[in-house]
Amino acid sequence: MSCRQWLSSAMRQCQSVLARPQPSRALSTSAPAAAGFKRTPSDTPSRPSGPAHRMAPRQPNHNAGLQGLVSEGMGRRGSAGPLSSEERRGMLGGRGRGSGEQARGDTRAHIQDMRQNTVTENYARQMPRRWRAGDAYSPRDLSPYEMGKWRKSRRPDGDVVDILGFNPVDNYKNFALISEFMTSAGRIKHSRETGLRPVNQRKMAKAIRRAIGMGLHPSVHKHPELLRFGSRQGNVAAVPSTSDPSQARL
Amino acid sequence: MSTRSMSPGGALLRASRMFSLPAPLPAPKIDQGASIFHSETAMLPYPTHQVITTLNSSRERGDWGLKRPLPLRSTTKSTHPMLRVKAVDTAEQITDYASAADHGMTLKKFQELNMPVTILRTAGGGRIHTNDRTNVPRMSAFEDKLDKTHIPASKRAAAVEDRWRFEGPWLAGMSQGDFKTWLAEEVRPKRSQFRRFLKKKLAKEMSDKAAGKALDKAQELPDRIKAGSITDDQVTDYVRHLRTDNQALFEMVGEFLDLAPLKPPKPSHSAVGSQPVGSKFEFRDVNSPWAESGPPITHPSAGLSYLRTSMFLTNHPIYGPQMHQAAAEARILRLRRPGQVLGAKYGLAGFVVDAPMGDTSSNRQGQTVANLETFDPNLKGGAKTWVQPQSVLVNSSGHIMITVGDATPEVVLVTKELLGDAVCLDAPFAGPAEETASDLRARYKAADPPSMSSAEQYGL
Repeated sequence: MSCRQWLSSAMRQCQSVLARPQPSRALSTSAPAAAGFKRTPSDTPSRPSGPAHRMAPRQPNHNAGLQGLVSEGMGRRGSAGPLSSEERRGMLGGRGRGSGEQARGDTRAHIQDMRQNTVTENYARQMPRRWRAGDAYSPRDLSPYEMGKWRKSRRPDGDVVDILGFNPVDNYKNFALISEFMTSAGRIKHSRETGLRPVNQRKMAKAIRRAIGMGLHPSVHKHPELLRFGSRQGNVAAVPSTSDPSQARL
Repeated sequence: MSTRSMSPGGALLRASRMFSLPAPLPAPKIDQGASIFHSETAMLPYPTHQVITTLNSSRERGDWGLKRPLPLRSTTKSTHPMLRVKAVDTAEQITDYASAADHGMTLKKFQELNMPVTILRTAGGGRIHTNDRTNVPRMSAFEDKLDKTHIPASKRAAAVEDRWRFEGPWLAGMSQGDFKTWLAEEVRPKRSQFRRFLKKKLAKEMSDKAAGKALDKAQELPDRIKAGSITDDQVTDYVRHLRTDNQALFEMVGEFLDLAPLKPPKPSHSAVGSQPVGSKFEFRDVNSPWAESGPPITHPSAGLSYLRTSMFLTNHPIYGPQMHQAAAEARILRLRRPGQVLGAKYGLAGFVVDAPMGDTSSNRQGQTVANLETFDPNLKGGAKTWVQPQSVLVNSSGHIMITVGDATPEVVLVTKELLGDAVCLDAPFAGPAEETASDLRARYKAADPPSMSSAEQYGL
């Protein structure tokens, strides 16, 4: 039985016990966050209102925690993928030990941890800028308006062929380079995407056509070697060779 | 349209800093790796335009000392009047201006840190590498030995390790394409000039040799050989000889083109397979602080701070002299995530800094540090942490690199007390006494009339 199936069956059980799902909470960003960070013991028993009340202390039922976890996961885990082995072990452990106080506390802490993580990830996604040491920033740079600009890719500023000073036509065998200038469907990228000036764009297109025509590069998708490398982390693009004879002399 | 001839007085006024704004600096280069994802409106790493300010009384009239008064609606609301003028007058007959509070306030915040700007040398002159973040006292950017701007042309070659400004480029920082363009456009036209330069060098070398021989034999010194008497064949032979001696050749070329010093390659890198027969690669070590990462684009201090050293004691009125300078509060800009190699990033005085390196008490490795790993949306004003600024460096691209360490709890407490955020000697901070309306009136009456602006007001 897969993890997802197990979770959904657990959820069905919980529905019967609580019979009061809170769909609006699952969609809100800040309310669960507030719940996640309210860990003070005075909060839970005394106040009947508020989101923290969902894990009702009067009901010694660990399913309540599961219910919260599942609805949380359904609502805000974008991928809704299976839990990691560690998380799953934690949950199973809590289940196996029955309704002991210790187990309940563990589960609760774990769920709160997971909630915190989700909130952190959600907010981190709102800050796509990769800060580098030495950058200057003003309050405006932290605003959502400015951050949104770091999310979308733009056309490169310079002509990479001119910057690196190589001749694309001589590099028709460099499949990493050729693939960079092709779409995944095997089409030559437009110069508005590549940022090459017309002369270099024509040369690059010629190199791509040559590589495909000679059967060195597939015409429908990326090069299989790149797909093999793609599973690893890291950049595979090789530095193009300069075939200028004057360079050899130096 | 023909250019109008300008009177000498007009030319003087145009060139003077008193009456005209300096030409803007070239915009900082966007790093190639980051060029696909970037924002054109983000704050630049350094200001390119002069920041201008004005007195409050003038600001209310829109008077910024420019050709025409500026609109009041957009210039009178901010607490700190700071503007940058992109164009004093355009074809549309407007003054193009924008707020410069970002860089202006950053400068003020930076100066509150009380940090001197340093260079990549220890205070004793020893070498520090670019990526070295150890906390050793560093040499000031104003050290007399290395802070020279005016060097007579005849002494330039000798002072190559003490200078920070060079006519030629720093070769290691050039891309292949730039290098080719530079060769074609700058270097090739200078061929005949270089041969003349070599003739002079050869004449001097030959004269010195002849003089040395004569001295050995106790003969009379021969006449100095003149550069004009060297033949072209001799120069060609000399060039061939130089080609087998890479260091001598680089020194000749470097002196001729005034290249910035280069860090010699590591021994393992120099053992190239394509070594010409009969030649050997030998490199002389250079001691310039700019050899490793390139010369700075501004004065090494960038005008941020004119302090010479951070080796001074701060005195506390009650606790006495303090071992450390005051700590500073840094914003946590990027969290440390478990799966990621990249560490946390802080924002200090408007600059992004790396979290303290290694396993420190605020950045403990292998353990959960709550404020560095989780984001708390309920925290007002965002997550912050206390750090101890250690050194400041302006790197070769003009970025301000601040090194921070952990602030000890004692320093944090003392700093907080001084700011009024913590209790001092168990006595709660009282705050200013309640003032009645008559007190206020008396205070304003007694106040001095608004004085001329002081340099301090402008953050100098």
